[in-house]
Order: sequence, then structure tokens, then C-alpha cells
Amino acid sequence: MSALAPWHYLTLAALLFAIGGVAVVVRRNALIILMGIELMLNAVNLTFLTFSRFPVALASDAAMQARANVGHTSVFFVIAVAAAEAAVGLAIVIAIFRSRSTVNVDELAELKN
Amino acid sequence: MNHLALVPALPAATAYLWLIPLFPLLGAAVNGLAGRWLPKALVAGLACLTILLSFLLAVTAFQQVAGGAALHQTWLEWIQVGRVHAELGLTVDRLSAVMLLVVTGVGFLIHLYSVGYMEDDPGFARYFAYLNLFAAAMLVLVLADNLVALFIGWEGVGLCSYLLIGFWFTDDAKAYAGRKAFVVNRIGDFGVLIGTFVLLKATGHVDFAGMQAASRMLTPAIATTAGLLLFMGACGKSAQLPLYVWLPDAMAGPTPVSALIHAATMVTAGVYLVARMGFLYDLAPVALAVVAIVGTLTALWAALIATAQHDIKKVLAYSTVSQLGFMFIGNGVGAYDAGLGHVVTHAFFKACLFLGAGSVIHGLGGEQDMRKMGGLGKEMPHTSRTFLIATIAITGIFPLSGFFSKDEILHRALTTTRFAGIGLGWLGPAVYAIGTLTALLTSYYMWRLYQRTFNGERRNEHHAHESPAVMTGPLWILATLSIVGALLVMPRVQWLERWLHPHADLEGEIPYVPFLVALAVAWAGYYLAQYFHGAGSEARASKVAAAWPRLTLALENKLYVDEAYDLVIVRPLRFVAHTLWEFGDALLIDGMMVNGTARLTGWIAGGLRKLQNGDAQAYATVIALGTAALLFAMLR
Repeated sequence: MSALAPWHYLTLAALLFAIGGVAVVVRRNALIILMGIELMLNAVNLTFLTFSRFPVALASDAAMQARANVGHTSVFFVIAVAAAEAAVGLAIVIAIFRSRSTVNVDELAELKN
Repeated sequence: MNHLALVPALPAATAYLWLIPLFPLLGAAVNGLAGRWLPKALVAGLACLTILLSFLLAVTAFQQVAGGAALHQTWLEWIQVGRVHAELGLTVDRLSAVMLLVVTGVGFLIHLYSVGYMEDDPGFARYFAYLNLFAAAMLVLVLADNLVALFIGWEGVGLCSYLLIGFWFTDDAKAYAGRKAFVVNRIGDFGVLIGTFVLLKATGHVDFAGMQAASRMLTPAIATTAGLLLFMGACGKSAQLPLYVWLPDAMAGPTPVSALIHAATMVTAGVYLVARMGFLYDLAPVALAVVAIVGTLTALWAALIATAQHDIKKVLAYSTVSQLGFMFIGNGVGAYDAGLGHVVTHAFFKACLFLGAGSVIHGLGGEQDMRKMGGLGKEMPHTSRTFLIATIAITGIFPLSGFFSKDEILHRALTTTRFAGIGLGWLGPAVYAIGTLTALLTSYYMWRLYQRTFNGERRNEHHAHESPAVMTGPLWILATLSIVGALLVMPRVQWLERWLHPHADLEGEIPYVPFLVALAVAWAGYYLAQYFHGAGSEARASKVAAAWPRLTLALENKLYVDEAYDLVIVRPLRFVAHTLWEFGDALLIDGMMVNGTARLTGWIAGGLRKLQNGDAQAYATVIALGTAALLFAMLR
């Protein structure tokens, strides 16, 4: 276990965040964008947990070390919110697909101009 | 001295002076505003009555002046800014009293004549409104006691001239003639304005008495500058070279207008101005020399053109320009009273000639071409007889008025000593020689006109009829004045001279030699005209014309002056204006500044709009990249 240092986790989280971000920015399919958001949220979760697991290595302040478990708590909130977001997001995507027969975000530009 | 002194005014019973211009002004207002709903008799009656009242007041003023000092009334304080002080002041001295009588007297006769002449015109009321307005403006000009008030009248007569020349404005050519008169006059008016400013700067006054009192502050240079600038205005108004071109075209107006404005009154305003400013010109011999030279050249130039015109009014128009030249010769040699004498006698006989021509045109139903006239003497006895008297007067045949007034000018030119001081001693005799030649031409073209119009055989089938009494009446009065007017200027009698200089000694030599020369010249002109244009001698005239075809053509085409002006002045101005329009207006202002601003804003906005395209993904990209950049900068 100890072979895995914090930077391994953080690097993975950063990669996941970047991949998710690129998916959100580049892809035109609303479903893929939602998946990208999920990836980013989970990358954040992973970061939270990393700092929660290795508090000493990263925080010098004693009070900060005492409150390190706050990271775990935050992750639960994020998972709950992400679940809600996924439910609402998918519902919207399905509603849009039913009315427009497309989930391409570029074609959903009625409010433009 | 020759200049006309302005005697300090007494506060006599002069409160009526302002009524003199006011009556015609009221007539103009009523006829102009309500005339079209009034019966013609009322319109005509009102117009004639107002000018008659002015005439009666003018006679009263004349008598008062005869009894003593000049009259003066301050109508209202007008401009009071710093040193500049101008009021609407009216003055009648010996000079303006004469002008006043001529303007109101001849003006009244022409109003009367117009009642007959304009009888059938739909613009009857409008015509009389303009005519009254003109009389009012001319009276302001004559009565003004300062240059600023004079300028009101000066511009007023210019405006009325424009309105009356373009009276039949539906004809483009006539409307254009009105515009031309206005524009050419404006060139001269500019000179009057600048001249006024120069005098104001130098003397601190704009009123004649004040300027004269302060004339010692005028250096020769300033006096010359101011004199030349004022003369520029006189050139415009009194139709002298090079600004005379509007007057022949002004014949587009109704003929009584030509008689009133372009022969008897308005065109003499320039002569009046120079005479009025005589004290200034006495200080500026160079300016006087210019006046004399311009007058001489104009007299000759216009007389040359007049010899070849076929339109009866055009001949009279060029004759007027030429006679105005004579008046300026009088002014130019410092003989202001001789110039004024010719103004008065010319007003009589030229008004008579123009009204006679109007009567002919009226009788022939609008025909103006002399080639289609001839033999009218039998059908129009009154017109032809009065015309004959006026012709004798203008050609300078003893003993009518023109002989004395013209010869007085030429004699004074011959004997003048004004130019010796500036090395132009030869100028006086030269002016005399050219003036005498011009007198020969005058006699020739006037007898030619008379022969071709009233003698010989008819050259068309028009039925001619004599004009009504309301037209022939003024003709006879003017013809009588043309004869009696001789008393004004006849040597030893010299009513005018005695009037202007009550205490002067007039027992001079009678200049017999110049008199004989003038008489010989006048008769020579008569025989010349008889020889070429007498009954059955048309062949001789056409033979001469055929011998010099180019000269004849040039004279018939008025020596191409209008064409030359068009080429040298109008076209370059048009070109500059067009260029300015194209580059300044269309390209720079419209293209670059107005539309350019709009286009630049649109272009910038078009660029910025791409950033705000409503594409959330693009926003997210920018936010992500921006955040990354910030983080990189902070954490590095």
C-alpha cells in the first residue's frame, strides 16, 4: 500500500478531471457531456480522499490535521449531489430527445440571437 | 471744395422724416399680405397713394432744407456695442434732398405707368407690393445718416431687384437673371461691408458727419483702401466694369421695373454713395483715379455693345451702363455735383426711354426685337414723340438736359487737376477723349434705335395700338422734365449747383469749345445712324456688318463677357465646389466620418460578438483555460 504515494492519486485525479473537462468542452452529445461531468466530479472526490488519507504529508498545521476527516464527509455530499444531477440531467436529455430527436447541443440554440 | 458738406443738424420739426420710407413700406405690407383678395383698383390706388405721400413729404423736407440747415431725425438707437455706435438715423441735406425728390417723383410716375402696363398680369398685387418695398428700401438708402443704416437700404434694393427681375419666375431664364443680379450685387456688397469696417476702425464712426469730422485720422493708405472697397460696392450696384453683367440680364423683369430700378433709382445708389463719401475720396486721389478709369472704360465698353444689340430693352440697358459710367467719370474727377446732375437728368430721360420702350412692347403684344418693328410713329404718336424728346436729351443735342449734364462732366474731366499730384496728369484729357468718343457712340446707337423703331417701314404684321393715358401721361411728364431738366445743369443757370453750394461763386467761363465739340459729336452720331439705318438704307448697314463679320458677331454676343466669366470664374468655382463636395462631403464626411464611424463600430462589434455567442461550451473552454493560466501563474 505504502508504495502508492499521494502524487499517484493526485495525478490520476488530475488526468480524470482533464479528460472529463475535455469531454464537456469538446463533445457535442449531451450524454457524453454529462459523463464528462461525472468524471470531473469523481476526480474531485478522489482528490478529497487523497488529502484525507495523507494529511500529514501535505498539511503542516496541527488544526488542519485534526480536521482531515472532513474530506470523507465532503465526498458523500458530492456523490449525493452527483446522483441527483445525473438523474435530473438524464431526465432533461431524454425530454429533449423526445421533443427534438437530437441530443446535439449545437442544434439546441433556440435562445441564441 | 467740391465735396458736399454735411451741416450739423438742427432739432427742427423733423419728426415726420421716418414717415417717408414708412408709407411705401405699409403699402408693401398691405398689398403683399392681402393684395390678392383686394380689387385691382384698390391695390393700384394704395400703391400710388403711398409713394405720392412720400413725394409730398419729400417736397416738404426739400423746402425745409432750402430754408436752412440739414434735417435730422434719430428713428431709434440701434447698435451700441463698445465703441461701435449706430442708430437708425435719417438725414436730409442738400444732396439727399435731390435724390429724395428724384426717387419719389420718378418713382410715383412709374407706379402710375405700371397700373396700365401690368393691367392684365395675374401677379398685379405682388408686383405693386415689390415696387413699394423697393421704394421704401431706396428711401432708407437715401435718407440714412450712417453707413450701417445705408446698408439696410442697399441690401433692400438688391433684394427687391432680385424679386422684380425674377417677377415672372415660372420662366427659368428670368428666374436665373434675378439670381444673377443678386449674386453679382453680393460681390459688391461685400466691399461695402469691409469698407465700412475699415472706416469704423480708422475713425470710430459709421455716421457720415462723424466720419467727416474724424477724417484727419484717415491716412492716405486707409482712405484709398476704404474708398476702393466702397467703390467695389458701387460697381456692383451701379453696374460698372467688371460687375455690370447683371444689368442687361435684368431686363427680364417687367419694363417699368427696368425704368425705375435699373435706370432711374437703384443703379444710381453707387453714384450717390461715392458722392456721399466725397470727403473720403478727396483724401484718396488714387481711388478717385480708379473710379474715373473704371467709369470711362465702362462707358465705352457698354456703348460699343449697345451699337449691335437688336433687343430694344438691351440697347437701353447697355446705354444705362454706359451713362452710369459717365456719372462715375464725374465722381472720379471729383466733380460730384456734375455726377449728381447727370444722375438727375438721366433719371428723367432714361425713365422716359424705358417707359417708351415698354409702351412699344405693350402696343406690339410683347415684341422686343427691333428687327420686327419700324414705322410705329404713326400708330403711337404720344410714345414716339416723347421717345424722340428723350432721345434728343440722351444723345446730347442742344439745348436739352443731357447735353449740359454730360458736357459738364466731360468738361470737368478735361480741366481736372486732381491727378497731377499722383503723376497721372494725362488722365483727365484721356478721359475726355474717350468720353467724347463714347458720346458719339451714344448718339449713334440711340438714333439707330429710334430709326428702327419709329421710322421707316413696318417689318412685321402686328397690329400696334397706342397705350392708355395712364401710361402716356407719365411719358409726357418725363419728357417735359427731360427738357426742363436742362435748367438744373445749364451754365449760368445751374439750379442744381446753386442748390448744392448756395454760397459758391458760379460766374465761370462758359466752355464754348467743349460745347461745340460735344454738339458736333452728337450730330455726327445722328447722321451716322441716318446713313446706316435711315429709310431704305438697311443695305449699307448689312454691308458694313458683312465687311467685319467677326466684330459684328462679337458685339452682338456682348463681347463674350458672360462666356469669359463663365470660363474664368464660374467654371473653376464649380469645379472647386464639385471637388469639395466629392472629397470633403461625400468621401471625408459622409464616407469616412459618418459612415466610417458606424462601420468601425460594427466591425469591432462583429469581432467581439464571436466571444459572446451563447455557446456554453466555448465559455467553459475559456474559463477552464483562464483558470489554468491563473493557477499556473500563481503556483509557479
